[in-house]
Amino acid sequence: MPLLLDRHRPAGGTPELRARLGWFVGAVTIAFLVLVGRLWQLQVIRGDRYFQASTDNFVKERFLSPVRGRILDRNGVVLVDNRPAFNVYVTPRYYSRSAHERLARILGLSPQDAESLWSSIEARRGAERYRAMLVREDVDRDRLALIEQLRSELPGVDVEDVPHRYYPHGTLAAHVLGYMNQITEAELARWKGEGYEPGDSVGRYGVEKQWEHYLRGKKGSERYVVDAKGQRKGEREAEALIAGPRWVPPVPGHNVVLTLDAELQRIAERALRHHPSGGVAVVEVSTGKIRALVSKPAFDPNAMTSGISRVELTQMEADPKKPFLDKTLRQHYYPGSTYKFVTLLAAIEDGLVTPEERVFCRGWHELGGRKFRCTKAHGSVSYYEAMAQSCNVYFWQLAERVGMDRISRVARDFGFGAPTGIGLNGDVAGRVPWKAWYERTGGFRIGYTLNTAIGQGDTEVTVLQLALAYAALANGGRLWVPQLVERVETASGKVVAEYPPTLRRRVQVSSRALAMVQRGLWGAVNDPNGTAFKARVDGLEVAGKTGTAQVRKLQKFEDGGDWNPHRDHAWFAGYAPAHAPEIAVVVLVEHGGHGGRVAAPVAMEIFEGWRNLVHGGVARAAKEGEGTGTEPGAEMGTEASAASRNESASPEGVPESGEDILFEVREDGEVVPANVAPPAEAR
Amino acid sequence: MNGWALWRKFRTHFDWMLFATVVAIAAIGLLNLYSATRHGPQRDLFGQQIGWMVLGFFVFFATAILDYRVLTRLAWGLLVVGFVAIVVTHFFGIAAKGSRRWIGLGFVRVQPSELIKVAVILALARFVQDRESQELGWDAIALRVGALGAAIVLIAWQPDLGTASLNALICVSVAFFTMKRLWPLLWGFFGLAAAAPLLWMYALHDYQKKRVLTFLDPTSDPSGAGWHSRQSIFAVGSGRWDGKGYMHGTQNQLNFLPEQWTDFPFSVWAEEWGFVGSIVLLGLYFFLVLWCLNVASQARDRFGATIAVGVAALIFWHVVVNIGMVTGLAPVVGVTLPLVSYGGSSVLTMFLGLGLVASVSMRRYAR
Repeated sequence: MPLLLDRHRPAGGTPELRARLGWFVGAVTIAFLVLVGRLWQLQVIRGDRYFQASTDNFVKERFLSPVRGRILDRNGVVLVDNRPAFNVYVTPRYYSRSAHERLARILGLSPQDAESLWSSIEARRGAERYRAMLVREDVDRDRLALIEQLRSELPGVDVEDVPHRYYPHGTLAAHVLGYMNQITEAELARWKGEGYEPGDSVGRYGVEKQWEHYLRGKKGSERYVVDAKGQRKGEREAEALIAGPRWVPPVPGHNVVLTLDAELQRIAERALRHHPSGGVAVVEVSTGKIRALVSKPAFDPNAMTSGISRVELTQMEADPKKPFLDKTLRQHYYPGSTYKFVTLLAAIEDGLVTPEERVFCRGWHELGGRKFRCTKAHGSVSYYEAMAQSCNVYFWQLAERVGMDRISRVARDFGFGAPTGIGLNGDVAGRVPWKAWYERTGGFRIGYTLNTAIGQGDTEVTVLQLALAYAALANGGRLWVPQLVERVETASGKVVAEYPPTLRRRVQVSSRALAMVQRGLWGAVNDPNGTAFKARVDGLEVAGKTGTAQVRKLQKFEDGGDWNPHRDHAWFAGYAPAHAPEIAVVVLVEHGGHGGRVAAPVAMEIFEGWRNLVHGGVARAAKEGEGTGTEPGAEMGTEASAASRNESASPEGVPESGEDILFEVREDGEVVPANVAPPAEAR
Repeated sequence: MNGWALWRKFRTHFDWMLFATVVAIAAIGLLNLYSATRHGPQRDLFGQQIGWMVLGFFVFFATAILDYRVLTRLAWGLLVVGFVAIVVTHFFGIAAKGSRRWIGLGFVRVQPSELIKVAVILALARFVQDRESQELGWDAIALRVGALGAAIVLIAWQPDLGTASLNALICVSVAFFTMKRLWPLLWGFFGLAAAAPLLWMYALHDYQKKRVLTFLDPTSDPSGAGWHSRQSIFAVGSGRWDGKGYMHGTQNQLNFLPEQWTDFPFSVWAEEWGFVGSIVLLGLYFFLVLWCLNVASQARDRFGATIAVGVAALIFWHVVVNIGMVTGLAPVVGVTLPLVSYGGSSVLTMFLGLGLVASVSMRRYAR
């Protein structure tokens, strides 16, 4: 049985073995056919798929982060910027336990943090193991140098320089600007297809969050070749192996220009310096543009963005003063006497009171055998004295005539009880009660009307709502939608969108009624008997209303002493100049006590600061010559010096902590207190 | 006889077909090795391999000219020498990757467990010859089977499971070819199957178990041993019909293939030359195995026939296990691809074996 063609005849041989050889040949043939079949399967049937798999092996795509848009104030002052920073990334596939221990030591991670980081790195599976994970943002130079030095002992560790969000003015307008941090799994899932990836930072609060899609820009990408160890190969390989474009440049985000005035914001924040907790809203009367919006205490956006430690975060979250709460629009408060204009307008409009009518205040009002106490016995008061001196009895008597629902109607007309429409930080509606509401919730009593008439009971408003209502009082009845963003520009300054002021509605009150209210508000500040008379500013006529809102009934706390969570809220709401109003200011000092004594001075300081800023060119020039360097107000810059000069004469003139001291970064990267070189020509 | 007459005799009797096939495979091997090693730190392996090839062909011719029948006497002795070499290697050898397999001989390193395959084949041939020429008692058979078994166990203990299994496969193949009744082989197979759990628990090293487990479930270790297997499949598959072109295999050039010059040269070849190239190489091996069996069928005696069958089995199993391994049909074990893998011992072993086949082939004619 010759197996193959054989020219020679074999001699001798082993014929009895040949039978088995046939089997053997069969087995070999089958085995080789199996291999051929397998090769056919791999190379021909699944060839394209494996070709793709082998391409995926060496083509790595990397997103190129765009530079995030900046946030500017109305004058172009940069409120939020980007600075170069170094982030540390780890690629699990090339990482090791020993590298992790080294890296944890360099980064100064606690054993728990290091351990949880390790388990999250280890949790990566499959292709995810080839993707770099962000481990630490914004590593300082010393650590960076250590990492560079130990490069060879830190496989899988990469350092990349990325723009890092930077808030040059520290806590200034923190609640408006917001902060950023790493995207969560849930957000990644929700925003699938929008180009987000793990490790990205997203806006978390304020404008950073609300305008995220304008600010973030568009990612670019880069495709390059890596070998099996993840080492990047040169351009020559990339050119030869990658089809199509290898580099798509990122598009920088848009700049957002706010209506905010950084200098006025600074003045407003400074005006609150003696008070640990509160809110301020400054609104332009003729447009509804927000010029300053303060919520205190504030968080530090730089710390929040660079990764705050869990301990600090827990501490801040447990703080009863709630630094993360935006007190200008996320929280509502009893407006107290600042709300009295609503009651007055309701009565005038329905013809239930005349300017001449007088009411006698004995110090209390009696209703159904119960005595409602006034602040003192005001004697005979007309609407003017009642507003100026904040007589409760007058308004209680009006309330009995007007009734609950008329007060509610006017309140709603002025925007209370509904969100302002700013859309920022979860703007709340507050509450305007009406009769039916009480009947639904357990029965209406006339006493509720009395409480409502003086801004107590179940009436709650936000600082911003009140500011817009006072702006409407000042401008003849136009209620604005608050405006925070002036326009959006491209990085090169081309205007993308410009936002005109938006009128929400014209308030349904006669100009006669408005004039009466305005006169009352003028009296509260400028009448010697007015509740805010002592706080008035020389040379600027302010109109406004103080408020002292009871937080707890039947409890009276003395002024002074530490921050007391049971003490009354102090309010001042007003506008200036009284006869040609330009801005409306509302100040809330949480648990501050008496409105006239506590909130009014704060508001007046803001009014004065605003006056100097906008109209005080001459006064400012005069003050500059005196040299303000040693005074606590000096770090505010020259614009604020007039205001600070005024207040530093008061016994409480020293800032209680260093939080108002601002820092700036010099060109050489050093951080220095901003008062080293006052920005004389800042604007 | 003068030189001219000797040459003419050689020319007419020499197995040129065998020689041509060997040259073709070796040429492909060198070509492929150059592509597999030209990048990175293994660049000098190519030059070394050429040296081994030259030595290999010298050995091939020397063995071919030598009358294989003189080895009848030496067969068991060579096996004993192999024993000693392995034991010496175990204690004094050069350690690499968890086992001592190499022994330094001056400037070269030799792997006795590779070379012992030839000794095993010779011993098998002698065993077959003995059974034909004399009546062997049970004790004599047991002694011989025991000696062969000991060689296999010794290699496994080294540890070099791949080589041990290969020797076992050669023995079984030869036994299948030569035994008068096959049922003892069947019993042996059943016995082995019964003992498998015990072997698994006590005889296998952890890394060996892991390889087997990974083969059975590649997803269990996607970045470790399973990764090698996957990357190899990617390489083979991505060659598609006609390959990515010589020296343009990305899996190879960018080092996604582990040890592409020893264990995975076929992946390199398949990636760069595609299905067409793979079939050419596979065809050459197929032809080589069949040719060796052809020589066996025409051998003048049982000793020669068994040698040829043994070498055919040697090449066959190496090819099937290696290609099975790189295509994901077999677990990743260190079995080389004959004449294509880098490695002096492997090359010498193959040339020795093929030289023996050439010697058998030359002497099939009655003089």
